[in-house]
Amino acid sequence: MKDVEIGTIFLEQISKKRGNALGFWFFRLFLRMGGLFAAYTLLYGVALHYWLFDGKAVKAASAYLRRRFPESSPLMIRLKCYRLFVSQGKQLVDRMAAFSGGADFNFRLLGQDNLEKLANQQKGFVLLTAHAGNWQIAMTTLAGFKKKVYLVMLPEHNAAVKASLGISGEGDFIDTIPPGGAPGDILRMIKLLKEGHIVSFMGDRAYGAVSGSVDFLGEKAQFPLGAFAVAAAAKVPVAVLLASRVGYKLYDVDLTNIITPVYEKGENKKSQLIRWSQMYADILSAFFQQKPYQCFLFYDVWKQ
Amino acid sequence: MAVKQSLEEISVQLKKSLVEELSLEDITPEEIKDDEILFGEDGLGLDSLDAVEIVLILQQNWGIDLTDMDMEKGREIFASLDVLVQYIYDHAQDL
Repeated sequence: MKDVEIGTIFLEQISKKRGNALGFWFFRLFLRMGGLFAAYTLLYGVALHYWLFDGKAVKAASAYLRRRFPESSPLMIRLKCYRLFVSQGKQLVDRMAAFSGGADFNFRLLGQDNLEKLANQQKGFVLLTAHAGNWQIAMTTLAGFKKKVYLVMLPEHNAAVKASLGISGEGDFIDTIPPGGAPGDILRMIKLLKEGHIVSFMGDRAYGAVSGSVDFLGEKAQFPLGAFAVAAAAKVPVAVLLASRVGYKLYDVDLTNIITPVYEKGENKKSQLIRWSQMYADILSAFFQQKPYQCFLFYDVWKQ
Repeated sequence: MAVKQSLEEISVQLKKSLVEELSLEDITPEEIKDDEILFGEDGLGLDSLDAVEIVLILQQNWGIDLTDMDMEKGREIFASLDVLVQYIYDHAQDL
C-alpha cells in the first residue's frame, strides 16, 4: 500500500469520529506546504472548536483531568482540557507526518538493555501499552528486532490502527489479532509468544474484557487483566511501553518497566492478576504525574 | 507405565480442577453436569481468563499442550465438558 493511501485511510477513519474530510484535507495541505509548524498552527484553532462545541470529548477528557488535578476548579479543568486537546492534536499531526514520510523524528530509547534482553530470548514477550503519548510512533523503534509484533485489538479498530501504523500486508513487522474472547484466540496468543513473537495489549481500557479493580490516580478504576493472564500462561515477561512527546520531532520511548507474572501457589489467581495490574496502574500513574498532558484515554475507566 | 485414566476419572478430576483453579463459587464439582457448556451464559459462564487457566490445567495434569492446536479445533474442544474430557482421554500423556 502506498503512503498516500495509508494516509487517506487514516484520515477517513479519524474523520468518522471527529471532524470531516475537508478539515483533514486542510491538515494535509498545511503539512505539505508549511511542514509541521504550519499544521500545528492550524491545530490550535481546530482544538478550540472541539473544546467549545464537542461536549462529549470535553466530558471524556475531564474524567481523567479531574482525577489528575483534584485541586483544580471546574474552570481550570476546562482550560486544561484545551491544552490536552492541543497535545493530542500535535501527536496526531506527528503521526501523520511520520507515516507519510513528511518528517523524520528522533527517539530516545529508555531501557534499551531491557529491550535487547527481551529481543534475544527465545520466547516472545507481552508488550503492554496505554492510551498515553504516541505509542503508534514508538512501535517503529521495535522494527529492528527479529520479532513480529501482534497488536490485540477489536476487528472494528483494525483499519484505523493499521493505517495509523502504516501496516500494509505480509512483509510488515506489525500485524493485528482479535482479543481473546474465544478460547481459540487465547491459544493463538500463547502460541505466538512461545514462538518468539511479541503480543501487544492496551492495558488501560478493558473494552468489555475481563477486568479488575485497581487504584489509579487516587480512585478505583477497571483495568483489563488479559495481558497478565496470557503472559503467565506462556511464562513470558510483560514489558510496559510508554512513549511521550518531549519536544519538536523528539520522543522518549520508555521500556524500563518489566513485570514478570508467575503465579504463586495457594493464592487466588485473579487476586494475583489484579496485583500485577496494580503494578502497571502505578507505573501509569507515575507517568501521568510527570507528563499530565500525554493521557489520551478519553474514557471514564473510574465509572463503576 | 501409568494406567490410563477412564473417561469418568478424567471427568471427576477435571471438574475438581475447574472448581479449585478457577475459584468457581456457588458450585461444587459434583454439581457440574457431564455435558455442561463451559463458556457463555447457558453453562458455567467461563470467560477468556478461564480459558487460559484451562490451558494450564490440561498442561499440568495431563501433559497436553493446546497451544499447538489450530484455532478452530481449539474452539471445538472447549464447547462442553464432555467434549473436553474426550479430548483429554484421547491425548493425555504419561506424566
